[in-house]
Amino acid sequence: MLKLFEREQLNLAKLPEAQTAIEVRDLCLRFGDKHVLHNITMRIPKNRITALIGQSGCGKSTLISCFNRMNDLIDNSVTEGEIIIDGRNINRKKENLSVLRSQVGMVFQRPNPFPMSIYDNVCYGLRLQGIKQRRQLDDAVERALIEAALWDEVKDRLFESATTLSGGQQQRLVIARALALKPSILLLDEPTSALDPLTTLIIEELMADLKKRCTIVIVTHNMQQASRVSDYTAFLHQGELVEYSDSDTLFTLPEKKQTEDYITGRYG
Amino acid sequence: MDKWSLRQFLTNRQQQSYVISLGAFCAGLLVVALACVLMLITIRGLDYFWPRPVQSIQFELPDGTAKQVYAQINERHINSAVESGSEPAFVFRYSDSQHPYGRSLLVEANAVEAISEAAQAADILLINGSRVFSEPLSIRLPEDQSGELTQYDEIRDTVTAIREQIETVRKERLASVHRELASLDLRQVEEDAPARLRLYADFERWQQEVLSLEAQLADYQLVTRFNNGREFLIPLDDIDRLSYPGQLDWFGKLGIVGAGVVAFLTDAPKQANTAGGVFPALFGTVLMIFVMTILVTPFGVLAAVYLNEYAPDNHLTSVIRICVSNMAGVPSIVYGVFGLGFFVYLVGGNIDELFFKDALPAPTMGTPGVFWASLTMAILTLPVVIVATEEGLRRVPEGLKSGSYALGATKFETIWHTVLPMASPGIMTGVILAIARAAGEVAPLMLVGAVKFAPNLPFDGEFPYLHLDRQFMHLGVLIYDGAFHSQTDVRSASLMFASCLLLLVVVFVLNVLAVILRRRLRKRYLRGY
Repeated sequence: MLKLFEREQLNLAKLPEAQTAIEVRDLCLRFGDKHVLHNITMRIPKNRITALIGQSGCGKSTLISCFNRMNDLIDNSVTEGEIIIDGRNINRKKENLSVLRSQVGMVFQRPNPFPMSIYDNVCYGLRLQGIKQRRQLDDAVERALIEAALWDEVKDRLFESATTLSGGQQQRLVIARALALKPSILLLDEPTSALDPLTTLIIEELMADLKKRCTIVIVTHNMQQASRVSDYTAFLHQGELVEYSDSDTLFTLPEKKQTEDYITGRYG
Repeated sequence: MDKWSLRQFLTNRQQQSYVISLGAFCAGLLVVALACVLMLITIRGLDYFWPRPVQSIQFELPDGTAKQVYAQINERHINSAVESGSEPAFVFRYSDSQHPYGRSLLVEANAVEAISEAAQAADILLINGSRVFSEPLSIRLPEDQSGELTQYDEIRDTVTAIREQIETVRKERLASVHRELASLDLRQVEEDAPARLRLYADFERWQQEVLSLEAQLADYQLVTRFNNGREFLIPLDDIDRLSYPGQLDWFGKLGIVGAGVVAFLTDAPKQANTAGGVFPALFGTVLMIFVMTILVTPFGVLAAVYLNEYAPDNHLTSVIRICVSNMAGVPSIVYGVFGLGFFVYLVGGNIDELFFKDALPAPTMGTPGVFWASLTMAILTLPVVIVATEEGLRRVPEGLKSGSYALGATKFETIWHTVLPMASPGIMTGVILAIARAAGEVAPLMLVGAVKFAPNLPFDGEFPYLHLDRQFMHLGVLIYDGAFHSQTDVRSASLMFASCLLLLVVVFVLNVLAVILRRRLRKRYLRGY
């Protein structure tokens, strides 16, 4: 009977390749002289939700940005080490960023819909890929909005400006925008920190739903959220991966003292 | 004692109101100054169109001859202190048999014997822009018949019909004969070929018709009488408008004003820019601004995008930024000289060398023209556009750019699809400022293409329709020109003010259009940000 409530356990250290979505090997990152990430090595399992927790400034957002190379936009960032997604090291020079970023979607802390209609927002990525047929776009928009649980709310006003939506709707629109590209990995950088509790709940339910389709990596400050939604959790402290295990273990029986201090609120 | 120090005065909470009042006073003064400028220009500008009464004046010339004339008196009583102490004097424009088409005169007040209203006298505006002040008596018709003044409108219609007939014959018949003859010349058909002879005969016939029609026209004349009793004949065909200012009520005067405004906007200048309309100048101004906007906007936007998005954040970039801002402060005449030296002589001259060698030494592009003027103005207004666009670009939230990158957009795609639309209100602000600046400049334009009088518009029915190499007229230059005429001629002073008013209206209309566009862009792209 108890088995029903038990989550399946994967051995994160020896995760087989078929079940790995992202493999990080000895990742170091610095901005100029400031070292932000030190020798991070981890395997993120496929079709699971992995949460990154840690204090502000510990490098979790930087780490998540490594997975679609958004750090490249910061002038003086230097990345070393390998990140293997889909069997290839995305840190290599000739990696096609457009392809990578359509494969690894990202949602930011503040909802950032483009100042266009809801429809155009969802189409943005598809149009960049050169898809022009109206029918194809219509289908993709509908599918993405249904997946993001927004379709029923906006289906009658697809051509209104996206900025007229509420904060929660905007965040789901941004998720839909990423989903339209059928990403295999979805990165969520504190997606609910600007939203109210009820909207947060909607987004969390959405995440649980989405993990059937893609791997989700979420950065969060909210410990309850991490334990609620995630299957696995990584705790980062000052740029180092302190502990990484399934969420139940991490939040109930943390191995390291640092982790325990953090999750019990003794610091951070 | 310390209580009354300035510092105390300015920092005392209750006394703060003085500081606020002072600020409000300055702001108010600004509004008043602006209102004054607008009022002066509006009043003086509209004065040009307002019909002035024709008066009968008796006066004595310095040589002792007495004169009795119909005249329009300028409302100014010039205090000609230089010539005759502080005696007031009249400045008026009159017509008599010696000077039927009007003459301006300054007469001292004591030489004027009598002034009276002359309701029977008409202000006759001729097609060529000059005016005759005289009393219409009757109309002379062909075959020595005469018509009543009451029939003026009908007879005028007949005359117009004949004039139109002449124009049709000229344009359709004679022009086609000329064309065919020219094509025969081109094919080197012999002088006595039958086709040629037939065309000659045609030509002769239509020419005869034109001559006979013109003779017919000449028979329609308005018989008028000057104040001294002499009669004067004016061909009806020469008359543009005839009005009796003394007999008009308010509505009649407004009608005259309306007709005057329409003529002002659609006619070419006459009498060396002292009468007539300003259409070529209006057209030239708008065309120049239009071409300038087309040139400066992409240039400025590209430069701003480069500086803001692509250029590395180093000393060179900041030096370039400072240079751009300083360019806005360079005196405009410098740009004029630059345009003349670089665009006209160097670029234009070389274009002539390369492409229009046949026409040399007569320059084709190596001469001031509307394109060079627009280009010079584009350089002049470039800093304004760059600065405003950069301001707009800076206001685009970083989050949106990241959002675009995260969807796989390249830098260019992000700029094109997200950054530029959101910066478009800022770009429009720059364009508005550029238009305002370009419309007001005169000095550089006079060097690179604007002239006092251009025989042709830069736009006509001849291929390639838009002749950007032609010189053009500009409202600002017309005003400048008018300011020199105004020393002697009253009407042209008003023409200057009227042009000024028009220039203001043009700038205002262009600005309002741009502001409306900017509001729409803001609504579309910046709502919710």
